[in-house]
Amino acid sequence: MFYVEIDGLTKRYGASTVFEDIRLGLKQGEFVTLLGPSGCGKSTLLRCLAGLTTADQGRIRVDGQDITTLAPQQRGIGMVFQNYALFPNMTVVENIAFGLKMQKRSAAETAKRVAEVIRLVELAGKEARYPHELSGGQRQRVALARALVVEPRILLLDEPLSALDARIRRNLREQIRDIQRRLGLTTVFVTHDQEEALTLSDRIFVMNQGRIVQEGTAEAVYTQPASEFVARFMGSYNLLSPTEAGRLLGVELKGHLAIRPESIRLCEPGEQYSADLGAPLRAIIRQHQLLGNIIRYQVETEGVSLQVDHLNRAADDLLPVGSEIAVVIDRRQMREVH
Amino acid sequence: MRADRFHRCVVVLLSLLLTVPIMATLLYSLSQRWEATILPEGLTLAWYGQLWHDERFQAAFSHSLLICAGSLLLSTLIIVPAAFVVCYRFPRLDRWMNVLILIPFSMPPVVASVGLLELFAAGPLPLVGTPWILLGSYFTIVLPFMYRALADNLRALDIVGLMDAAYLLGASTPRAFLLVILPNLRKGLMASLFLSFSFLLGEFVFANMLVGARYETLQVYLYSLNAGSGHFTSALVMSYFLFTLVLTWLATRLSRSNK
Repeated sequence: MFYVEIDGLTKRYGASTVFEDIRLGLKQGEFVTLLGPSGCGKSTLLRCLAGLTTADQGRIRVDGQDITTLAPQQRGIGMVFQNYALFPNMTVVENIAFGLKMQKRSAAETAKRVAEVIRLVELAGKEARYPHELSGGQRQRVALARALVVEPRILLLDEPLSALDARIRRNLREQIRDIQRRLGLTTVFVTHDQEEALTLSDRIFVMNQGRIVQEGTAEAVYTQPASEFVARFMGSYNLLSPTEAGRLLGVELKGHLAIRPESIRLCEPGEQYSADLGAPLRAIIRQHQLLGNIIRYQVETEGVSLQVDHLNRAADDLLPVGSEIAVVIDRRQMREVH
Repeated sequence: MRADRFHRCVVVLLSLLLTVPIMATLLYSLSQRWEATILPEGLTLAWYGQLWHDERFQAAFSHSLLICAGSLLLSTLIIVPAAFVVCYRFPRLDRWMNVLILIPFSMPPVVASVGLLELFAAGPLPLVGTPWILLGSYFTIVLPFMYRALADNLRALDIVGLMDAAYLLGASTPRAFLLVILPNLRKGLMASLFLSFSFLLGEFVFANMLVGARYETLQVYLYSLNAGSGHFTSALVMSYFLFTLVLTWLATRLSRSNK
């Protein structure tokens, strides 16, 4: 029995289908991500869950209660938006207290809970500021605090980090996860960023063209893509056509062969390698790219171009372009996808 | 350097061009006699004293203020919700609204008045000659200023996001509008209110043709003074001008200190 159950949810705008027959279940306290390219229907699905958009078919249940036709005010769902949606005419405190004011809580209780949540999102000292006086990261903390203070049953996060720059995004992401764990809050996170999805989620639902194409833990979705789309979307997978796979590895496949760049090893001539990995292939380095702790090589072998990620262990690890080397593909990590 | 001096010259000349008529009127209103001499002969505040004690002036001024305030109140009550509904629910209607608000501009007030005279002289709504007809006519004058200012203000606001956020925090549509949207419209609303106010205070054609002496406004009164003393008329024009000036200054002060 799931805490949140979405059953056969469908949404159409005229002739075009935003999503169709969505079925998913969330356990209480779980952090779940809807991951997919823009236009895949993930944000609309989130809005249906919040009650801001009505679905055409299907049901949504939370804790056994059917909320499909309930107004957003009555759902007990909190949401954080990509562009913050803070009330510009209110200070930080007034923004956060808005939900409690709507619930007609006493002034003393409001003050106490606002103070707590301000401490939780580390905004102390900014209480009297207006949104336009805050940085992007601080604004999103206010938005988070505003959603948390009313103690929602479910927290929805609609690409809350995409408007922020990289460093703040990483910080805030960890903080959101930390707060979510501490409060044991059932959370649905929407993103198009696979790295974000992998680092944050208990489970990931990958969406494409209005359908859920794969669900599973971050680990499973990343290492066992169910389709060519997921393999392409999850990152830098090498995807070999059936003919390329046959030429390179002597395997006969119907679909594409997905190989993760970090499961290919570079061996310099004469180096020992473990026999169960398969025979080494001769290759030439065509390009290299330093990504900090990883060196990303573009190598060519038997007319097939492969991306190989190599851990940047020592300063002299970077092999020059044009070097002849051998690559070993870990056959246990290969996967056929359709 | 030369370009700099040129620019300064342009600014000075333009300022002169704009202030000379006002200064001349001011001087004329303060002078005892200014006919055969280059400079006025003797300064006096008598014209102002006479004006401000004139009962007809007091009545006209209060009529004007009442009609302006009434028109602006009516316009605000209709246009603010209308602009919100258009921007929030029917953004496609904005195009039609833009055509609609141009219609009063495209019709000269003289033509419009003739039409209104025909319509409201008798029949179920005999409004001609009463101040009520001006409320309606002035609404059409205010509509373009106020609608445009509010629509631009609303467009800059992300109203959909703000309304969504307010809904999820438990607010109903009216509460969300009053607490979240309306306070953020103050700037556009204030600007359009003061602009419209000075415009309406100076309106003559509708006031003269539709109501005239039966409920005399400031401009109709001013027009009737045409044959009288120029000093007296100048005092009236200056009083009117200073009033609008103070109001505009207050408006800018108000909208700045609150942001």
